[in-house]
Amino acid sequence: MFLLHEYDIFWTFLIIASLIPILVFWISGLLAPVSKGPEKLSSYESGYYMFALVFVVFDVDTVFLYPWAMSFDVLGLSVFIEAFIFVLILVVGLVYAWRKGALEWS
Amino acid sequence: MDLPGPIHEILVLFGGFVLLLGGLGVVLLTNPIYSAFSLGLVLVCMSLFYFLLNSYFVAVAQLLIYVGAINVLIIFAVMFVNGLEWSKDKNSWTIGDGFTLLVCITITFSLMTTIPDTSWFGILWTTRSNQIVE
Repeated sequence: MFLLHEYDIFWTFLIIASLIPILVFWISGLLAPVSKGPEKLSSYESGYYMFALVFVVFDVDTVFLYPWAMSFDVLGLSVFIEAFIFVLILVVGLVYAWRKGALEWS
Repeated sequence: MDLPGPIHEILVLFGGFVLLLGGLGVVLLTNPIYSAFSLGLVLVCMSLFYFLLNSYFVAVAQLLIYVGAINVLIIFAVMFVNGLEWSKDKNSWTIGDGFTLLVCITITFSLMTTIPDTSWFGILWTTRSNQIVE
């Protein structure tokens, strides 16, 4: 738009992707009935806490693998083995989470 | 980023201002959900600073990990807090608060005076011959 004209499509996408949730929440706030009650102030557990924990671990794993993947063709065999050992250490964490039942859906 | 001069400075000032406001919001807001979302705003501002310093990868990694994973975890943890138990009394200052304020002001001013006076260009950890990409 105003800066970085090669990113025009990206700015459009960003603006539309930001406007849609804002619009949705605003219209819902206008049209929905408001009901107060003590139930609304109680604690809320959606059951996804364990998934968020596992996601943090493997997200950091993935972010460390992105630069390695981008420069894979100029790095040698030793770097491949190092990345393999890194992934193995994270697989140990995965096996721990698996055996603790963090991957169960119920 | 290679932005024109004044726009770069305006973005830096804007980012810093929003970061300070967000930080104050984290500490001073009474509703813990608002506090957690304010922390998300602080992390997004830090990502903006990384973009302005040409570190695109670190900026996106900041958004992915800090905002996308760690902030989400914090919000999950805050959801466990029972809403009826929030304190509604006024925040009054204790002696520990005053001492902490003094220590934080000292640290802030010592950082503000030492960082511009250090010659950061003299710190070279790698030599030019170690670059992998030719």
